[in-house]
Amino acid sequence: MGKILMKGNEAIGEAAIRAGCLNYFAYPITPQSEVAEYLSRRMPEVGGVFLQGESEVAVGYMLFGAAGCGARVLTTSSSPGISLMSEAISYISSAELPVVFVNIVRGGPGLGGILPSQADYFQATKGGGHGDYRLLVLAPSGVQEAVDMVMMAFPLAEKYRNPVMILGDGLIGQMMEPVEFSDHLKSEPSNKDDWATNGMDTRNRKERNLVKSLFLDAELLEEHNLVLKAKYDRMKQEEVRYEPYNLETDYRALVVSYGTMSRVCKTAIDNMKAEGIEVAMIRPQTLFPFPIDPIRAAAAKDGCQAAISIELSMGQMVEDVERSVQGKCPVHWHGKAGGEIPTPEEVVDVIKSLIK
Amino acid sequence: MENLKGIVVVVGNYGSGKTEVSINLAVNRKRAGIDVRIADLDLVNPYFRTREARKPLAELGIEVVVPAEKYLKADLPILSPVVAGLIRRPSQLTLIDAGGNDVGATVLAALGDSLRKKSVHMLQVVNPYRPFTETFEGCLKMRDEIEKTSKMTINGIIGNANMIDETAIEDIYNGYDFVKALSGESRLPLKFITAPATLLAEIDTGRFSCPVLPIERQLVPPWIKAAGLKK
Repeated sequence: MGKILMKGNEAIGEAAIRAGCLNYFAYPITPQSEVAEYLSRRMPEVGGVFLQGESEVAVGYMLFGAAGCGARVLTTSSSPGISLMSEAISYISSAELPVVFVNIVRGGPGLGGILPSQADYFQATKGGGHGDYRLLVLAPSGVQEAVDMVMMAFPLAEKYRNPVMILGDGLIGQMMEPVEFSDHLKSEPSNKDDWATNGMDTRNRKERNLVKSLFLDAELLEEHNLVLKAKYDRMKQEEVRYEPYNLETDYRALVVSYGTMSRVCKTAIDNMKAEGIEVAMIRPQTLFPFPIDPIRAAAAKDGCQAAISIELSMGQMVEDVERSVQGKCPVHWHGKAGGEIPTPEEVVDVIKSLIK
Repeated sequence: MENLKGIVVVVGNYGSGKTEVSINLAVNRKRAGIDVRIADLDLVNPYFRTREARKPLAELGIEVVVPAEKYLKADLPILSPVVAGLIRRPSQLTLIDAGGNDVGATVLAALGDSLRKKSVHMLQVVNPYRPFTETFEGCLKMRDEIEKTSKMTINGIIGNANMIDETAIEDIYNGYDFVKALSGESRLPLKFITAPATLLAEIDTGRFSCPVLPIERQLVPPWIKAAGLKK
């Protein structure tokens, strides 16, 4: 099969099937609903299941249950829906189960609006639910990358026995781009005997698997948290992904931007290059783990006068940029959160105002 | 395209390019000296709607009928009462851009009484590079579903084969062959096909038995500039 023209939301649905995921539970919400619509049509064709929950709270526990049985499982939603799932996300993380979440972010807080936003950065990377847990967070900047990240998300979730979240935004879900799909993955996690409560017959071990998140004994809970922390530390070592842009030049400023916003920044950087002004960008593809070292190294380069976090929020990722830059140069923020996306011209003006 | 007069309803599956085609058809006919109005009846899609292009269209003297300003960014099924008036007293060319699939075409049934009294061209936009319409079977199924919910009959095809930015000349030729054969299969006339205006000079239009509508892309993501529309 060659390339096909798809909306981000449709492509995410198709990618899940190619990734061998035959269990999809969701509840419709703009601007994500096309995933549910697409999979309601496609899942029966491939022998899979789409079950629409009575709410996102219910969906969260459907995911918990299915993952606990060893099924490869996906949900997609948009901001308010993810908030409703947050309790289950905490439980699933503690129970160390692999689930893939897709958040096609819309404006907030509260019901907010239906236009693109990146205001769920904190929710995705720092919590949302309770307790010391982390999600591995992937951030696509186009439809093809959304497909690739869905294909990658299931094996990653299983490798770490941890939820993976794909943080898109309304535009990633709604825009169309030509995409292609790689071959089908197998439809079962290869390591599911490590956690699944799928009966004793298939296993070479004597003890039963137990899916739980309750540890009343302080020592046991401490030990459990240390196991989780070791996993998150390993993600920081092994899973940092980012795209450098124009980093090989003698740039005067470093932009850090992801998703839809980074596409606008690329156009702005190209336009400035044509004027003879070099600006570089690091585009995090993983938001957790965050590309701390590459950003620090890029900000420390001679001639770099400013690091600018440009995001569709009122300043969330900028805190991680500050943490990464560690004072090597001044850190600034620019962004919008209402749903309107800054234009390339606006980004050029902002960068120019911060450099000599 | 010259014979497209009166009310033209544009339908098709999600993302087939109804809106981009409607906008460019409106511009093309306006440039030919015809009085054009266009109604955004997309009640199902939250992004990339005709309303996004209302400014450049207005500058060309094309009236765009959209819901009241304060509801423009809502995902609410709002049908402007102006639409019924538009149908009762059509301009030389009145374009109705419906929403995607059978769901998007449902609104047409609500306008049925006023539409049935008029002669209406209802045209199905087909992009064979989109999911569910890459086969004749898929296109015909879409046609049936749209006809059932809209309670109207499709009487022509618009070939809109494209891969947006990555459209190659071969895609246009192969897409034409597909819709030409679909036209034979469905006994629906092929009204016209589209091609990016930027590729037009390189395309051998002698291959086609129908007119070609040049597309000057208006529905773009924020990092790409929409094509400037000259009078």
